[in-house]
Amino acid sequence: MEREETVGRLLHLHFRDGRTRVNGDAQLLMMEMLNVFVRETAARAARQAQAEDLGKVDVEHVEKVLPQLLLDF
Amino acid sequence: MAAAQPRPARLKAAVHYTVGCLCQEVAEDKDVQFSKQTIAAISEITFRQCGVFLILCRHAKRSTVTTEDVKLLARRSSCLLKYITEKSEELALNNMEQKEKKKKKSSAVKEGRTSGEHEAAVTESEDYNMA
Repeated sequence: MEREETVGRLLHLHFRDGRTRVNGDAQLLMMEMLNVFVRETAARAARQAQAEDLGKVDVEHVEKVLPQLLLDF
Repeated sequence: MAAAQPRPARLKAAVHYTVGCLCQEVAEDKDVQFSKQTIAAISEITFRQCGVFLILCRHAKRSTVTTEDVKLLARRSSCLLKYITEKSEELALNNMEQKEKKKKKSSAVKEGRTSGEHEAAVTESEDYNMA
């Protein structure tokens, strides 16, 4: 799976010391977490834009929902 | 010789692409549009969030991140935790099924060889006979 590989490499990148590894299942699970994270961010930003009667989501909407999002994650 | 590590830029591009796809789905679902800057922003945030997740995982002081560590990340939100726990159970179940399949395959091969040697009229064993 291409996405799985990307997640694997992403994680490797963050572990620069090379000591930490991620097992296969944890990688898949992490991918799910990131999927949810992205969708949630997008959905909340969209809801924020809609609450302001706008049809286009801009960075400011992401900025508004970000604090709560990071608390929830 | 190990393959060269991909440069961060390529990874970011891959994340950006995936984020774009996911946002497209959300856009269709909610009937809105995402500006390009928004996709870029979410992509950047996701990339950084990955690092945050891993720092939290590292707290366990083990050298390998396991599914239990990933589950801990989800504990702040009960529905997220439930979703992730379900997914990890699916994975565990899948792993068990794979192991079962392998066991059955290898034991069937062993039986095939033994019955071939005893000259039993079992046609299936011919499939497993080594040339």
